[in-house]
Amino acid sequence: MIQDYLILSVILFSLGILGVFSRRNVFAVFMSIELMLNAANLAFLAFSRLHESMDGHVLAMMVMAVAAAEAALALAVVILLHKHKGKLDTNVFSVLKG
Amino acid sequence: MFAEGLFIAFSALSVLGALGLVLFRHPMNGAMSLIVTMISLAGLYALLSAKLIFVLQLIVYAGAIMSLILFIIMFLNIQDSDLPEEKGRFYYLLGGLVAIIPIAAFLIKLVKGIPATETTIVGNGFGGVKEVGLVLFQDWLLPFEIVSILLLVALVGAVVLAGKRRMIK
Repeated sequence: MIQDYLILSVILFSLGILGVFSRRNVFAVFMSIELMLNAANLAFLAFSRLHESMDGHVLAMMVMAVAAAEAALALAVVILLHKHKGKLDTNVFSVLKG
Repeated sequence: MFAEGLFIAFSALSVLGALGLVLFRHPMNGAMSLIVTMISLAGLYALLSAKLIFVLQLIVYAGAIMSLILFIIMFLNIQDSDLPEEKGRFYYLLGGLVAIIPIAAFLIKLVKGIPATETTIVGNGFGGVKEVGLVLFQDWLLPFEIVSILLLVALVGAVVLAGKRRMIK
């Protein structure tokens, strides 16, 4: 049934939000965001199957491209922060405060 | 019947992987369980007869992005003492659960109103490379070009971030 796929998508998205909420490790937060993107992809593909049109497939491809760009930039920032501060805590990002 | 068994197996694996990502302390264990989630999601895409996205999920997500993350985790050589303390994370987890469960329950209730459709495999090349490519280059040409500009911006940004030390000197 198509609803089961959508329910699974909701569960995975909620787990991603919980990961962003409860973790202070930069990598865990980043991978939780990837998990949320994947849950959105699953919902796109389930709706695409429901309507039997392929627009959802194209959108899923674009989400993948955005995730790849985001991964490259976010990991570069994490490496720079680790080099300067030697920490992996998200509190390190409070240096951006004005 | 066989497809339903596959769906149950893949969905259980993906939820277990996501739970591991949230609960494991070391990011290496979290990345490994995220790879389990990615691969089982690829199986679910195949069950939804999205052939091209199934292959792309395996190559781009489980292959490229996750190996990039694993490479960075190994490159930084994280010891247990480098990790943040995260003492109150179970309290944050409980608070997050209290906030999330009503929203998730509402969404699940909403989803159940959708007319029930069997997810049998669709024929006529649905989700194949040629068909998705035709849709991509006919109806979605402008968003495709915008994504290419986004990738260019990410490339330039990565070069700027990598060359920052020399610019300061």
